[in-house]
Amino acid sequence: MHYFFQRFVFSLLSLFILTLITFLLSQVVPGDPAIVAAGPNAGAEKIELLRSEMGLDKPLTQQFLIYLEKLAQGDLGKSWFTHQPILEDLIRELPPSLELVIIAMIINLMISLPLGLCSARYNDTKFDSSVRLFAMIGAGLPIFWTALILQNVIGGELQLLPIAGRLSFEYRTFEGYTGFFLLDGLILGRLDVFFDALKHLILPAFSLSLLFTAVGLRITRTAMISEFQKDYVLLARTKAASEPRIMFKHVFPNGAPPSLTVFGMQFGWMLGATVLVEEIYGRPGIGRYAVKAVTQSDIHAVVAVVLVVGIVFLLANLVVDLLLYLLNPRGRVDK
Amino acid sequence: MKIFNLLASAFTALSVSLAIPFTATADVAGTLIIAENETPENLDPANATNSTVNQLLVGVYDALVQFKAGETSVSPQLATDWQVSDDGLQYTFNIRNDVKFHDGSSMTSADVVFTLDRLQAASAAVLNDMGPFKSAEAIDDYTVKMTLEAPFGPFISALSRIYIVSKAQVEPHMSDDNGRGWLAVNAAGSGPYSVTTYKPTEVVTLNAFEGYWGGWDGDHVAEVVFRYIAEPSTQLALLKSGEVHIAPDITVQDKLSLMNADGFRVDIGAAATPLYFQFNTSSDGLVGDASFRKMLAQTFDRKLHLDYVLQGFGTMPDGPLPPDWMGHSTGTELPFNMAAAKELVDQNGWAGSTLKVRYLPAIEEEQAAVEQLQSNLSQLGIKLEAEGMTWPAQAATVQDLATTSDINMIYNFPSFPDPHAILNTSFNSQNTGYNGGYNWAQYSNSEVDALLNQAASSADQNERATLYAKAQQMIGAEYPVITVSLPGSVVAMSSAVKGYRYSVAHHQTFNYMDISVD
Repeated sequence: MHYFFQRFVFSLLSLFILTLITFLLSQVVPGDPAIVAAGPNAGAEKIELLRSEMGLDKPLTQQFLIYLEKLAQGDLGKSWFTHQPILEDLIRELPPSLELVIIAMIINLMISLPLGLCSARYNDTKFDSSVRLFAMIGAGLPIFWTALILQNVIGGELQLLPIAGRLSFEYRTFEGYTGFFLLDGLILGRLDVFFDALKHLILPAFSLSLLFTAVGLRITRTAMISEFQKDYVLLARTKAASEPRIMFKHVFPNGAPPSLTVFGMQFGWMLGATVLVEEIYGRPGIGRYAVKAVTQSDIHAVVAVVLVVGIVFLLANLVVDLLLYLLNPRGRVDK
Repeated sequence: MKIFNLLASAFTALSVSLAIPFTATADVAGTLIIAENETPENLDPANATNSTVNQLLVGVYDALVQFKAGETSVSPQLATDWQVSDDGLQYTFNIRNDVKFHDGSSMTSADVVFTLDRLQAASAAVLNDMGPFKSAEAIDDYTVKMTLEAPFGPFISALSRIYIVSKAQVEPHMSDDNGRGWLAVNAAGSGPYSVTTYKPTEVVTLNAFEGYWGGWDGDHVAEVVFRYIAEPSTQLALLKSGEVHIAPDITVQDKLSLMNADGFRVDIGAAATPLYFQFNTSSDGLVGDASFRKMLAQTFDRKLHLDYVLQGFGTMPDGPLPPDWMGHSTGTELPFNMAAAKELVDQNGWAGSTLKVRYLPAIEEEQAAVEQLQSNLSQLGIKLEAEGMTWPAQAATVQDLATTSDINMIYNFPSFPDPHAILNTSFNSQNTGYNGGYNWAQYSNSEVDALLNQAASSADQNERATLYAKAQQMIGAEYPVITVSLPGSVVAMSSAVKGYRYSVAHHQTFNYMDISVD
């Protein structure tokens, strides 16, 4: 328990530092939100007035303290441009992105874990070489390029999957409870919505996952190869244990930890990369929201997005640590 | 706990739909789907200077007067007629007595006064172009008097962007932000369409308002849908698959290829949005010298730009005003002439100097123009450093003379079709960058100011035309800008779309209230 408490405090500290850095960076980046808010031909007087209304005339330290004080009360502030509480904006934008990342992560795990394990088992065979080739191609393809090609071929030419959007046109006014349309479809018993949302997720999720899958595959393969070379595998083989038993019962659980750590981090990275596919597939999401906030110099919204992505990153890692801890009882003693 | 309360309220807000449910109107049918690359910031009429916001509001709200799509003169909308006092300081409007807002309340002069009071209290961007507007008061239920601090010729035109809100609907939500938070996600208009879904990063739907005072004669759609699609190739794919009817943001090459394709149409609107290279005329450096600017003024090939970058979609610029506008004066800017420029460089020993241009690299047209200028200047031995920026960053640099670069690229988006909206914005010293305006050439000439001010205060169109022509000649003689282009507003659409017309007074919007889909 002590270990997890320590981790928790560490996470909070990282978040604080992250907030501080983002806040400072957003001030250093040139651009004056008051000019944007004032509109065309506003005049210096009006810009000045808005600057003071927005609190931008206060010293930076004071701005940061005010921000922290509100943050401690769970208030992320108001966006200067949507005029809505940023928390509400994020509650709308985060679910579509998380949904995308979760599906991309599932694709990633479903490909890289079994393929990595098998490719390690049949190390240096033709099978292994072709897997490595796949990984190399996957790692080399830029996300936006894959997304465009898949969209044009599978969505446009072959019309097998939708070109863009989160749901088909007939569901344009659909409102769920959670904003996760897959989940909302299930909660409301609307299987049509569930499958429609899933259809719209396949191409973007696959495009997003490809690069990460390639990395996950390589890491898993390497970890498993070194596991296959350990003495206990030799012992098991001499004891005539079946090969599947060796692979799944012994090698896999022992070799999984390094991959799991990477997958945990990948979750956060993916969330940061969603903007590439969101723009192409016309999906709402935190990536597009962040880009808009940056181009408008909406400082508080930018800081909030970084904070939220940071929290998701830390949570994903916390979950992985917990899994590792549960997977490996020895850890409890080691710590 | 606060977070949970907020979460709960956010969920409620999300699940409540925005306006009255749509009831089918007999002769109004079908759906028009429009793709748009920018997401709207909010729905607030205070922010209607922003075209992505304005394109939603233009059929949701009415103004006292309006420019119909395709027209350059103003027509009555909520006002029936008006009188101007002899001194030009008082405008008295008679307004319609048969107008219902979407919430069912009737419009009276109290709504008009409330609208203007709120905009003033909220320091609304949309008031920036209202000149010396001072106040509005209700004379009786259907008469409104507006007072100006000085005479302002284009006042009636400027009112076309002032959308009247329902006082009954907005007043309870004024809170401490003058209703900005509420109007950002709710609408309170009297226009032909009401907002039914507002998911600002995904989709916005508008439905025909059955009780619209203007009636529903002619062909209209029952529903208008805006889909937010950033990627040009995605817009194209959706246009081709029939999932959107209008795709304004596809690439110029794709627009060209659609011109001859079956089932599609490409409309080229005569836009009036000049793109400039603005030279920092107040600089202590070389660009502060008019003879140096005379050399620069001859180093950009507008024809090449029009033919290759715009693929012919646009008007060859002849000074900042569109050539067919009132008061246009021809030949005020020097033509492209590298030999003449070279001679000036040689005479003055300017070779070896370095200049800096700031621009928005996200806009392809600006990128291409910068590259041409860079290449031409390098032939003259002048190095042009290009610094790409975001809009807020570039705008911040011109707030101070010391940080204004030698050259800035900027579009002028006039908010109504009047020479004032272009010339005063770009060349009056009241509007220099350091005064918070869009005259990023920091150009200041008291005689030009006097001409522009006199033209703005006059209501006599002939007098105004003469004054503007004179102002353009004086400006031209000091070479503060190169007008790079007058790009056309090129919109690709399905040939099922009937009735689309470009609206010069509402650039980058669609007259969806007059469009039908076969």
